[in-house]
Amino acid sequence: MTTTMNSESSNNSNTPSTAPVMTSSKQPLQTAKTVDTQSVLKRLQSELMALMMSGDSGISAFPEEDNIFCWKGTITGSKDTVFEGTEYKLSLSFPTDYPFKAPKVKFETGCFHPNVDVYGNICLDILQDKWSSAYDVRTILLSIQSLLGEPNTSSPLNTQAASLWGNQEEYRKMVEKLYKPSS
Amino acid sequence: MAVDASSSVFNLSVLESLNEDSVREMVESWNRFCSASEALLGGTGDLSFGSEFISQAQILCKHGLQSLVQQHFLRSIEEVFEKNGATSFWRHFEPYRNVAALEINNDPMQTDEIQEVLCKALEEISSEKLYEEKCLWMLVHALQSQSGNKSDRHINADAQNVPLFSKYQLMVSSVLMTSLPRHFPEILHWYFKGRLEELSTIMEEDDENDNELKVEDDMDVDERSKLAFQSGDMDVDGCHHHRRFSENNKLVKNIGMVVRNLRSLGLTSMAEDAYASAIYLLLKDKVQGLAGDDFRNSVLESIKGWIQAVPLQFLRALLSYLGDSTNYAFPSTGLKSPLASRPSSCCFGSEAPSEGLVRWQLRLEYFAYETLQDLRIAKLFDIIVDYPDSAPAIDDLKLCLEYTGQHTKLVDSFISSLRYRLLTAGASTNDILHQYVSTIKALRTIDPAGVFLEVVGEPIREYLKGRKDTVKCIVTMLTDGTGGSNSVSGSSGDSLLEELNRDEENQENTNVDDDVNTDDKQAWINAQSWEPDPVEADPLKGSRNRRKVDILGMIVGIIGSKDQLVNEYRVMLAEKLLNKYDYEIDSEIRTLELLKIHFGESSMQRCEIMLNDLIDSKRTNTNIKATIKQQPPPELEEHEESLDILSATIISSNFWPPIQDEALLLPAPVDQLLSDYAKRFNQIKTPRKLLWKKNLGTVKLELQFEDREVQFTVTPLQASIIMQFQEHKSWSSKDLAAAVGVPVDVLNRRISFWVSKGVLTESVGVDADSHLFDLVDAMGDNGKTGATSGSCEELMLGDDDGERAVASVEDQLRKEMTVYEKFIMGMLTNFGSMALDRIHNTLKMFCIADPPYDKSLQQLQSFLSGLVAEEKLEFRDGMYLLKK
Repeated sequence: MTTTMNSESSNNSNTPSTAPVMTSSKQPLQTAKTVDTQSVLKRLQSELMALMMSGDSGISAFPEEDNIFCWKGTITGSKDTVFEGTEYKLSLSFPTDYPFKAPKVKFETGCFHPNVDVYGNICLDILQDKWSSAYDVRTILLSIQSLLGEPNTSSPLNTQAASLWGNQEEYRKMVEKLYKPSS
Repeated sequence: MAVDASSSVFNLSVLESLNEDSVREMVESWNRFCSASEALLGGTGDLSFGSEFISQAQILCKHGLQSLVQQHFLRSIEEVFEKNGATSFWRHFEPYRNVAALEINNDPMQTDEIQEVLCKALEEISSEKLYEEKCLWMLVHALQSQSGNKSDRHINADAQNVPLFSKYQLMVSSVLMTSLPRHFPEILHWYFKGRLEELSTIMEEDDENDNELKVEDDMDVDERSKLAFQSGDMDVDGCHHHRRFSENNKLVKNIGMVVRNLRSLGLTSMAEDAYASAIYLLLKDKVQGLAGDDFRNSVLESIKGWIQAVPLQFLRALLSYLGDSTNYAFPSTGLKSPLASRPSSCCFGSEAPSEGLVRWQLRLEYFAYETLQDLRIAKLFDIIVDYPDSAPAIDDLKLCLEYTGQHTKLVDSFISSLRYRLLTAGASTNDILHQYVSTIKALRTIDPAGVFLEVVGEPIREYLKGRKDTVKCIVTMLTDGTGGSNSVSGSSGDSLLEELNRDEENQENTNVDDDVNTDDKQAWINAQSWEPDPVEADPLKGSRNRRKVDILGMIVGIIGSKDQLVNEYRVMLAEKLLNKYDYEIDSEIRTLELLKIHFGESSMQRCEIMLNDLIDSKRTNTNIKATIKQQPPPELEEHEESLDILSATIISSNFWPPIQDEALLLPAPVDQLLSDYAKRFNQIKTPRKLLWKKNLGTVKLELQFEDREVQFTVTPLQASIIMQFQEHKSWSSKDLAAAVGVPVDVLNRRISFWVSKGVLTESVGVDADSHLFDLVDAMGDNGKTGATSGSCEELMLGDDDGERAVASVEDQLRKEMTVYEKFIMGMLTNFGSMALDRIHNTLKMFCIADPPYDKSLQQLQSFLSGLVAEEKLEFRDGMYLLKK
């Protein structure tokens, strides 16, 4: 039983795009029960490899020294946005039943943004109810990067930021004032 | 008198019966005895008082005052001896007090003088002593006759008298010893040294004369010439020396006399010390003189021979001379050192050596062994440097060590000299490797079990591991001498190849040894030939793996894995094969076969394919050329060349190391030729197609100048460069680079070949960047000398600074590392700064996909410093961080 599970989930991790909905809807309970760390490790490993080789500019993440479930991420603000030239540290914490549950992602550097609260919590749909096992670290980081430039001001965590968003010049000043680059 | 009281106790019963007469008689005779003895001893050898002395002594003895007489006489003798003998004896040496201390005795005049003085002084004191002994004899006779009269005790007479003499002897030596000046032992030492040296020079001269004479004999000529060659070499044959010694007997006798005199004075041990140390000194000089810095000859035998010839003969003569004399003259001598050899009664020249002589021989030989061993150990490094030639010295050392067992001395000394002289930044890796191989070979002779080798090799191995070019050098050593490329290091380079050959021969034997199914007989033989490990063996290290001292194994051990070595070999082989313009690969095949035996078939598989490619190429090449004959090309255009001048090496590039590709525009006719060749290949080997690596290969070309023709062997790029000058005599570097299709800087590098050959001249053109090259039509005189030999050699030379055909192992490593570069960048982006080992560990942990991270810390470090040099990273306080 376990062996079949193994092969299935590893299959899954290798080709995340094939039928993600199927697996997530059918098997979440089973997988949560029989956590197979080996396959999770493998999945994270391959995600790391993909991320390293992708060469996307402005996003990066890497596991902490001895724990592949805890990553540190780095995002730089995209060009032509108010966040241009800033760099934000993130922490990504993967659950043991990843990728069936979303990782917890937080800003480590303070970020003045409508959808980020003072503790660094992010309000992003794919990290909550819209999570799918088809997503990976790279897509998460890309989403957060684009969230910086295109916030969802309708349901803000930081109302001050949301209200200021309309005035891009002032917003930029605010970002620069609050930006504390990590040493 | 004080003596009276004690002596009267002695004969208490006599006292009772004393009457006045007898007392008077006693007192009177006592007084006369005293004055007689005084006169006797004080006199100058005049024995006229003898009769008076004897008669008075006899009278006193009659009264039972024997002991009184003896004691009184001894006392007076002591006084006289102290006053006359000892003082005057020492006075002789007074002038040399400082001389001995300052050791200026190298002056022969002074040495002679000392000898003379010593002899004279000894003679004098001996005669003094002899006289005193005579007086003592007189007393003894007197007493003896007295006791003989009294009873039948004359049988015991000798026994009774011996104590008197030994007392005297003791007295003499104690008087001398108490007044011994400090420089006297040194004087003795110098004396014996001088004499011995004299003796040994006489011996050597005789021996040389002897040799010269003997050469004329029809004796074994080889033996003679060898002896003559080793100057000062001694014939071991004893009887000649016996004869010579009798000729030199005078000298020996002289020495013997001195020794005997010293002995009789109770200075035996001092004399022995003196001549023993003189002999040792001489022996040491001899060993040092013979051994010297020449390691090509074994000196042990000649040293042994010399010991037989000089010191032992001397000792033999001396001991037998003393033996003769001691037998009759001196019943017993007082002090004897425990090592002192008792002369046996054998007479001079007798065949059976005395026990003392044997002991001396053993002592001297041990000393010689030790001295030689110390000498050789101190020079071991140099000996090993010219190892194959210095094998005799190694053999000597081996024998010495067997005798003395001081292997640890060797190990310690050798390791320290290694560290000091070899394992330094100044030494080239090649030299270190050669020295390592020589060390292995040399120490294998000394210690077949390889225990010391293990210890000695450790620092070398450790050091070599830190060198980048170790692998390359090892592979060169393995393969050199195969291709017949006799480089400077050719002679020593093929040593490893020889080892490879030898190993192959041994393989069968060892297979038998290691076979699990050895029959009982074999097991029995193995068990019988078992030898315990030397005491010095480290029990922590298994004894099994040191059974076989395998040079290749040890060399590969430096690298760590054979894969690395095989990989390097593959690159080197590829380079070699690509530079061939015939298909002769016999020697490569041979090397490969040998390597296959050693490293296993599977690891050498790729190399084998490479060689097979060459063989196939040869066949294909012939086939293609055969097609020309069957269907000749429709028409030969003016510039078209025949396919005959082209031979191709067709490789299966998957199995070759990555090959450097470089765009290059070949001249049209040649290009045409290549595509024609490819077409024909395709016809024969459909569906395969030929892809040319145009930058590889060699071109033999002939340049025709107005006045002469010159031949060159060059790279295709160089050939196409020069071919451009066929049409235009002058090119700017920019235009030329475009014409041959390479970047300007590459062109500039390559064209320098032609400039250096004097075919082209270079001048600065209109543009600063662009140089102008002109063809030199008529070569000047300076050009002639350089251009005569445009050979393969120079092609290699040109290749050194330029690019190689095959990506080197470092390049490959670099390529692999670029995968990790992204990981390193990734982690540094997220963690800021990291130390080397943390990067290493992180890579090990997370970079496990294909290809897994398997590099050493050193490799990573060098890679990182490469990135630092490229300004991608920064290195600060031991931490790496991204360059902002």
